[in-house]
Order: sequence, then structure tokens, then C-alpha cells
Amino acid sequence: MRRLNWLPVAAVAAIAIVALATPLLPLPDPLAMDIAGRLAPPSRAHWLGQDQYGRDVLSRLLWGSRVSLGVAVLACGAAVALGTALGLAGGFLGRLAELLALRSMDIVLCFPPLLLALLVVTLLGPGAATLVPLLALLYLPGFVRVVYAGVLSVRSQDYAEAMRALGATRLRIMTRTILPNIGGPILVQFSLTMASAIVLESGLSFLGLGVVPPAPSWGLMIGAARSTMAQAPLLLLWPCLALSLTILAMNALCDALRDAVDPQRAPRPAGLRGTLAPHAPSLAPDGDALLALRGLTVEIDTPAGAIRPVRDVSLRLSPGETLALVGESGSGKSLTGLAAMGLLPPAARVVAGDIRVDGRDLRRLDETALRRLRGTAMAMVFQDPLSSLNPVHRIGAQIGEAVRAHHRLPARAVRERAVGLLRRVGIPDPERRARSFAHELSGGMRQRAMIAMAIANDPRLLIADEPTTALDTTVQAQILELISGLKRQGGMAILFITHSLPVVAEIADTLAVMYAGEIVEQGAAAALFARPLHPYTAALLASVPGEDGALPRSIPGTVPAPHDLPPGCRFAPRCAHRRDACEAAHPPLAPVGDDRLTRCIRWRDFAGTRPSAETAA
Amino acid sequence: MTALLAAEDLSRRFAARGLFRRGRPVQAVAGVSLAIARGEAVGLVGESGSGKSTIGRLVLGLLAPDAGRVLLEGTDLASLREAARRRVRRRLQLVFQDPYSSLDPRRRVGRQIADGLAIHRLAPPAQRRERVAALLAQVGLAPEHAERFPHQFSGGQRQRIGIARALATGPEFLVADEPVSALDVSVQAQVLALLADLRTRLGLALLFISHDLPVVRSLCDRVVVLYLGRIMEEGPASEVLRHPRHPYTRALLAAAPGDPLRPRARILLRGDPPSPADPPSGCVFRTRCPYVLAECAQVVPALRSGGPGHRFACIRDDVETTLPAPTA
Repeated sequence: MRRLNWLPVAAVAAIAIVALATPLLPLPDPLAMDIAGRLAPPSRAHWLGQDQYGRDVLSRLLWGSRVSLGVAVLACGAAVALGTALGLAGGFLGRLAELLALRSMDIVLCFPPLLLALLVVTLLGPGAATLVPLLALLYLPGFVRVVYAGVLSVRSQDYAEAMRALGATRLRIMTRTILPNIGGPILVQFSLTMASAIVLESGLSFLGLGVVPPAPSWGLMIGAARSTMAQAPLLLLWPCLALSLTILAMNALCDALRDAVDPQRAPRPAGLRGTLAPHAPSLAPDGDALLALRGLTVEIDTPAGAIRPVRDVSLRLSPGETLALVGESGSGKSLTGLAAMGLLPPAARVVAGDIRVDGRDLRRLDETALRRLRGTAMAMVFQDPLSSLNPVHRIGAQIGEAVRAHHRLPARAVRERAVGLLRRVGIPDPERRARSFAHELSGGMRQRAMIAMAIANDPRLLIADEPTTALDTTVQAQILELISGLKRQGGMAILFITHSLPVVAEIADTLAVMYAGEIVEQGAAAALFARPLHPYTAALLASVPGEDGALPRSIPGTVPAPHDLPPGCRFAPRCAHRRDACEAAHPPLAPVGDDRLTRCIRWRDFAGTRPSAETAA
Repeated sequence: MTALLAAEDLSRRFAARGLFRRGRPVQAVAGVSLAIARGEAVGLVGESGSGKSTIGRLVLGLLAPDAGRVLLEGTDLASLREAARRRVRRRLQLVFQDPYSSLDPRRRVGRQIADGLAIHRLAPPAQRRERVAALLAQVGLAPEHAERFPHQFSGGQRQRIGIARALATGPEFLVADEPVSALDVSVQAQVLALLADLRTRLGLALLFISHDLPVVRSLCDRVVVLYLGRIMEEGPASEVLRHPRHPYTRALLAAAPGDPLRPRARILLRGDPPSPADPPSGCVFRTRCPYVLAECAQVVPALRSGGPGHRFACIRDDVETTLPAPTA
């Protein structure tokens, strides 16, 4: 549970305490009339003045709060209790309960609230005692719906299925698993309903359908003050102010509750706003490199202080080359890819280093120039094609959108181009598929459509972030084939980000292995696979199940957190080849012969061995 | 050898519900028989939509089959009353694929692991803490981890917690539904090693569901290859993977990224699996098969023997010695 914001809680508590303590306060009788003091302005005896019968306004306001709040609390309490029971029954006890619970609520919803109010008041007579069941009935459908929807979504979660697999009874699943997980939405709905019930009580009393005069209530006070508005406008102000402040406090409480009951709201997804500060010193263009990163360091502010999940990363990618950036979750590989696109999430920023695409310094470009560059010079393919495609637009239209972002073409030409792109990425029957929605395509087809979108404007650099991880092996093989085909045809440079070494074995020319935010080894793919010069690369290779059917070897321990890095070699605590020297100083990424770089000081002792025999689990 | 758990001729279809119309029912599983002996590990391999997860739920009794039955030591699960079926659940447990959605985000992991103990009254409340600590130790976690919430763990650690929860009831049979496919490669190896170790130590029978053949080979005694809810090939893992008799198994093996040093010729399957709502006539694999013949559309190939314990459902015998037809 997150920390609760106490201010709105205190405000609502203060209102409740004042209402509860009203009988104890030394207030004049709210019903005692004083015709002589009719419409008197505020005075020492009557702080807020007197109303049209000379009654004390402050006293009526406070006694009125008891009625208004009491009606709202009782009505909402009844609605939440009954609504939760009905919603749980509807979502959990099978078809009949579902039908009864939901359809009866639909019937309630069919009546306009005012008509229903008139009906109930006619039947039961006006008064606070009538208002409570009336409001409870009006708010019941809201709770039933919220609870029912919550039950359905929690029930389909694996952890609810796990309880069933454990042999738990329905009652146990309902109370231990489902109720705690829908508690948040119920609480929020409760505080929202409270605010709305206070308003409705005032409204109904104002219309004469609620609390009966002379009993005080905020709605009645507003109604009465309206008739004397010209003589004593202040009389209208006080109840309105009380009403507004109470509702404001309620809504703030509702926001605070919503934040607090969510123990781990997902961090905001990688945003689409570049935050590259245009102040870095410019370096000379890096030869013919299409993508050149030099000393890239990315910083993210967290509540525990700034962390640097990417440190001093340098990469170079020539036209037609495929570079695979390999690492586990948390290695910083995806952030590096996003930085190269100028798509870092808002919380992250480049604090050092240089990013050049096609010779242009990304950190010196503004958002408009970056946008022009994206799509034409560079494009990106993400892991999950279902969440990267817009569910409400047709595939062809989305690809057309990508075309139109950079070309002014007539609609017909755009459509033809989209179909052509779908054909190029190997989608059968592209004319028909262009009219499909994302959910109508299989995972492999969606990823093909994403690739079609990425290559819509013939980018020279394609950044693919785990493009095959979510796919079946047979489909993965198809997508890899497609990507290498595109590379052969167009001379596109590809930055392929993945956690799986075998996947890139067939398409990568060069490899860079990242661990805990930095590159630990870099070199030509074939040489690196044949003879890894860093124990981490070797361990990664050994963790793949081999041909012989032996169990893969695991790497003991876990990747260190970015705020808790070991002082020397970052991999030393998990390394089977560790010596004291490894932990003494942080090793540099050093060149070791023909285009190879390694961050291991013991690479000579280590070289020449096929990894699997070497790394102890 | 009597099977601990036997599935006989299981079928299950799901009604497809569209927004405005009722779709055709999807035949997720069609006539699948399986037998798993005590302590045996069986790998269930197939692509998404092959019905492998449905089979996992069917043999656990979490879903009811439309046809066929599931026998636990000869007792039909469907014949049991609700309470008796809940008691049986103690012996059959499930490990999920997604380490994020399989744990309740609002409860401490210790309490979730203790659920099984409480439900089946396996330990008095006073001893539960101790038992939870022992279970955590068994999966390589520390006792103090019991006090944390799921979001405080990494994916691999969460998967270990899921395994500890399944082990709490002392099961004899574990269904692991793609337990490593959501994890990093290096973490995958850790979880696989843990499962292999638990298997030998506790004598667990395992139904290991996966789409990754190399992973299955490293862990399982037997392999069952599924396509569109039907068994294509089954047999001893080493035998099936060394001498696959069915074209689909060959394609799966060829597609699996294996040893990076030994890239091999790919048999690239065309297209996607057909929709289970509208399976092809005859052999369901024929639409993507590089070895397809005209007869394949007419006859549904029966499973036939290809060696001791090895069965496959293909009418051709020359698959191993012939090169596949060039793919379009």
C-alpha cells in the first residue's frame, strides 16, 4: 500500500467530527424562531446571521450537516453492502444469479431518478427516513456493476485459477482473493457516491421531496434562501459553501484512496517524448556510420535517487550491417535502443555521450526534426505487436498513416502503398488483410504488419526490440527470415535487441553483450560465439539448452540493481573465474585483437575454451 | 507400469462468442490420450493454439472434457463429487506461465504459499510459518521472503514462489504450463534446474507444457507433439528428437534456435496454423506440410508405431530420408 495523502482524510474527518459533535456544541436551538431578528446580518450572537424566521444560520448549518451527511452515509452504506453482495453473487455463483443480479439493476436504471424519487416519496411520504432507502436504491446499480466487473476480471487472473487448483472453496476464493483485489474500486465508488448523495439529498429537499421543514437540511436552507436572495444574499452563500467544501473534500479523498490502494501501479510506459537536451558538445562525424553511439549514459530519477541504467555505451552500425545487442532484463539494452530513437521515457535523460544517426547529432535536434528523422532515417519494431497496434483502426489504415506522416500522397496511392508493404512482408492476401483489425490477425501476422509499418518509408536504420520473443518458434523462424531478407534487399542497418543469443546467431554480423548497464563484450558474431572472451557471454551461451539434451547451466544469482552495483567488475559476484583483482577495480572495456573488446581482465586465462565446460553453476 | 494419471480420448470444444453472432465452436482438443507414470516427466509440445494448455487444465480437472475421461490411479475425476474433487487437488498441482499474473498482488507471498496448507489442513496454524520457510528453502529462497509482496521479486523469483505454492500440498503430479517461456534465458536455466532437482528429490510426475523443444529435451523422458489439438507424434524424448517421424516435429526442431555454432538448414513452415474453428480435412497439418501428398486431404492418419513406445500420425514413411519440397 502506498502512502496515503492525509490532507483530504483530515478534511473529511473534520467535517464528520463537527457533524457528530453538533449536539454538544453551545449552539442556539436551530428551530427557535425570532421574528424580530428576521434576515439579520452576522452578529456576535449569530455568527452567520439569522434566516427569514430569525433562526440561527450557523446552528441550522451544523444541524443540517447531520441530516445531509447522515442520509448520505446510511444510503451509501446500504448501497455498498447490498451492491457488493449482489455483484459477488452475480459474478461468482453462476448464470442464474448473474441474470437476476444484473437484470434487476437494469430495471432500476431504466427509471429516471427523479421519477423514481417521486414514486417512492408518494408511496412512503417525504422525510429523511424515506430518503435513505431511495438513495440506496438509486446508487445500488453502480456498486453492483463495479463489483461484478471486478469479480470477472479477477476471476480470470491466474492467481484466482491457482486458488481453484489448490482446491479452495468458492467462499474462500471470494473472501481471500477476490474481495481484497476489488476493494480499491469499491472504495473509490463509495466516496464518489457519497459526494453525489449529498448533492441529491439537497436537491430533493430543495424540491420538497426530501427532509420536511422545519427540520434543518442544506437543501432546505438553499431553497429557503432563494426566496429572500435579494434581501439577504449571504444566506444562500453559507449552505452552498458547506455543500461545495464537503464535496470537494470527498472527491479529494476519493483520489487519495485510489492512489493509496494500488500497491504497485505500473510505471508509466515508455513515453513517446524525446528528452534529449540540446547542449552536448558536438563531435566530428563518425565516418560512414549510420548509427553511432559514443559514451552514452542515461540517468533516471527514482525516489531512491538517480540511477544510471545505461553507462558509457559506444556502438557503431554501418549500412547493411546487423548488430545484435544482447542482455538480460535490466541490462539497459532496451533503453539504449530507445535513446537511439530519441524515444526515452520522460523520467529518463541522456546525461553524457553522443548519439548520431546518419551523421546528425540527435541531442541537438528538436522534436520536429526528430519526428522527421523517425520513419525516414530510422524506425522501430517492438516486442508486443498487439499492444503496439491500434485496436480500433484497420491494419491498412495504420500503415497508410505511417506513409502519410512523411509523404503527401492521394488516398488511393496511400492505400496501394500499404497493400504493397503488406505483400512485401509476406502477408498472404494483402488486399483483404489491409481491411482487418489487429485482433483478427495472428501474432506472427501482427508482427509482420508492425514491420510493414516500420519500413513504410524505407528507413536506413531499423531498431528491433525483441521482435520475436512473444512468438512461437516456427513463427519466430519466419520473422527472422523476413528481417534478414529485408536486410539483403535494401541494405538496411539493423539494431537487433534481444535476450537470446541463439536467436541472433543467424542474422547478426556483430554482437554487443550488455550486463548491468554496460557493454561487457563486443565483436564479430562468429568469433564471439566460437570464443567468448567474457565469462558472462560464456555463461549466457551455456544457459541455452544444447543439442545433447543436457540440462542448461544457469548463472547463479541475479543481475545487480542499478543503485547497488558491485564496486569492481559488475559480474564478479556471479563469476566462476573471479579473482581478488576483479573486485578491486572496475575494469575498462579493452581492445583484445581484431575488433574484439572485452571488459574482463582475465580474458587470456579464459580464452580458447568452449564455454559450457567452464562455467560452474 | 500403471499410470499415475491417464487421459483417455479427451476432447474439448469452446463456444466462440462474437459481438453479434455466435461463431463456430473451437475444437481445442480432439481425441488426445496420455498416460503419465509416477515420477515420469512428459513434455507436451506445440505452438499457440495447439490446445496444450487446455489439456493441462483438463487433466487437473479444472476444466471438464466434452468427451473422454481423466483417471487418477484408476478413479475417474468426473465421478467425484465437488468436495472429493477438491481433496484430490492436493495431489495434482499447477505452475503457471506468467510469473506476474499468477501471484495475488495484494497478499504477502508467505500467506499465498500457506494457502494450500490451510485449505487441506496439512499443518496447524502454528506450524505454517515453519513449513512456508521450508518450502521457500526448497525453491532456493530465504525465509524472510515470506513477508514480502509479489512486486518486490524478479520474474525468476516469482516463478520460484509459484512453484513453492504448488509444492505446499505435497503433490504427486505437477502440470507446468510454459513455466520458463516468460523468463530470461539465464533465469530459464535456473528454473529448469530447480524443476529437474525437485523431480528427482520428490519423485514428482511432471507434465511440462512448452513450445520450445530443446527445453523439453533437457527435462523430459517422453515427448508428445501436438498440432491443432491432436497428437502428431509421441515417444521417448531422445528417440523422437533424434529421429522425428512426423514432418511437423521435424519443422519444429528445425525452427528452434539451438546451438549458435551449428546453424542448420531450416524447414520453414509457410503461414500460420489454421484456425481450430475450421480445421482442414484429412491430416490437419497438410496445409503447411512440405511433404504433403494428395491422399493427405482424404484420410485422417491414425497414430502408428515407429519403434518401441514411439508413435506418429503420418502416412509417409520416407520423411527422414527425403528433402522437403521447396517452400513457396
